[in-house]
Formats: sequence, C-alpha cells, structure tokens
Amino acid sequence: MLSDAERERYSRQIRLFAEEGQERLKKKRVFIAGAGGLGSVISLYMTACGFGRIRIADCDSVDLSNLNRQILHGSLDLGRSKAQSALETLSDINPEVEIEALRERISAESINALVQGCDMIMDALDNFPARYLLNHAALERRIPLFHGAISGFQGQATTILPGRTACLRCIFPRAPPTQKSPALGSTCGIIGSIQVNEAIKFALGRGELLKNRLLLWDGLSSTLEEVSCEKSMSCMECGGD
Amino acid sequence: MRGIEPCAPRVEVEWKMQIYMPDGSRAELAVKDGLIEDILKELRINSEEVIVAKNGRIVAEEETAGGSDELKIVRIVHGG
Repeated sequence: MLSDAERERYSRQIRLFAEEGQERLKKKRVFIAGAGGLGSVISLYMTACGFGRIRIADCDSVDLSNLNRQILHGSLDLGRSKAQSALETLSDINPEVEIEALRERISAESINALVQGCDMIMDALDNFPARYLLNHAALERRIPLFHGAISGFQGQATTILPGRTACLRCIFPRAPPTQKSPALGSTCGIIGSIQVNEAIKFALGRGELLKNRLLLWDGLSSTLEEVSCEKSMSCMECGGD
Repeated sequence: MRGIEPCAPRVEVEWKMQIYMPDGSRAELAVKDGLIEDILKELRINSEEVIVAKNGRIVAEEETAGGSDELKIVRIVHGG
C-alpha cells in the first residue's frame, strides 16, 4: 500500500501507470553495480521514481576528475567513499526508498552476497571482466541484467533476460582491451536513463524491452541505431541456453 | 534451317560489400565469401575491440560474409 505522501510524491507518474504500477516498483529490489557516471544517473532516477529497495556498491572514493559526470557526488564529497556519498544523496532525494550503499569491489568473491535478494541488476560498471560476473549472477538467479556502457559521445545498452535472450557473453564473447575511456556526463545521462526506462518497463510488464537488441547511441550524429543479437550455442557462459 | 543464335555473353557482376566503419565512414570491399576475422584484418581493425553485425545481426568472427552483404563494425564501449 502507498502512503498519502507517496501518492503525492509519485502523482505525476501514477497518472501514467496507476497506483498498481507504483506498487509494482515499490516491491522491486534492485542491485546497482557502480556509483560512477552511469551509476549516478541510474540510482538517482530509480530512487526518485520509487523502486522499493536499492543496493548500490562501489569501492572507490570521490576524485575531482569524477565530478564532470558523477552527479551523485559533489565537491564536499572529495576523498569520501562513493558509497557513503551515494547513501546521503539518495536518501535525501527520496527517503521513502530503502537505500543500502556498500563500499565493496565487485569480484568473484563478493558478487553472490551483493546480488542476494535482488530482483534485477543494473550494470553501471567500467570494465568487462566485472560485467561478466554480473552476467553470471543474473543467469544463475534468472533475473534481468540491464546493460549499459559509454565512451565519449558513444554508448550502448541492451536488456538481458536469462533463458529468453542472448546473454552478455553471447553478444560480447571477449572483453575489449582495458583502457581509460573518455567520459561525458551527457552520454551517461542518455544511456543510464535508457537502462532505468528498461527496468521500469520490466517492473510494470509494459512495452517492448531491448530483448536481443543492442542499442547504439552516437552523440556526435545524434543517432540511435540498433543491431540484433541472438543466443550463441558456442557461448562459454550460457551455451545458448 | 536457322542456326542457334548465340546468347549474349554472361556478365559477371562483382558485388561489393558495404561496410560501415566504427568511425562512421563507409568502405566497400569485393569479397566472395570471406571470414569476418579476415575481413577485419584486411581493414586493419583489431577484432578484440569490435563486434560485427552482418545485415543487421551480430555475428561471430568465424562466420563468413561476402557478395552484397552489409557489415556494420561497432567499436565496443566499456566505460561507465
């Protein structure tokens, strides 16, 4: 049940999907992997729109070079843990949401505990080896993984539904070489918002998800394109299952 | 009696693949049936950094392409 305060807070989106839809969001437990550029946008919008419980994890501290895009954090947070900064910002944005922020590196050892009890995983990471851990956890638990990544003006997003779509490894069989990418806040805003939009649709059971579709954003030409993908029988993670 | 009239000589049409490069430019390549892996080599593109869509669908580099296929080479982004 929604409280009177929640009805008022969410009134503009209740017009869109009724109280029943809002209650669906409230029941969802989300894991957000990363509190950087994508994680800022994802966590702010998921918190503001009323997903019930949000767990966000990041092992880093706030650095001056983060502040061009990581809008969860401000100048007063420099040197502080991103998890702590995220907790304070998100709790302020919407105290109705249960926020859990963990200063934790996403690793083979930590991933199970991090996703425990969650209904969906938001990919806000900056490297593919850790993304493969999210993919594995999503497949194991049969919960969706909302993938997003950015570099400069470019971004990509897709929605992975275990057993029903290609998994992350089917699409990206091997990790690209690691290098520090250029990062722009507006690109994080576009891709992170697409990921949240997908998660909302999934929670509501409405619309068409990015199933077996990799969406490609080019900010220089302001174009969105998509390419289709499918389960790969030779996938080393899901074997096309 | 009329003899058999010669047919017009067959003209081999050389199809060229349209390739959309990661930087947004276009290239054409005349390949009959080449491995994607080899096509990337020919284009001097590191296969570890890209995925390739053939006629709109992502394919493995072990697959082949040629003729009038359309390839889109997408640079994988990995930042967050």
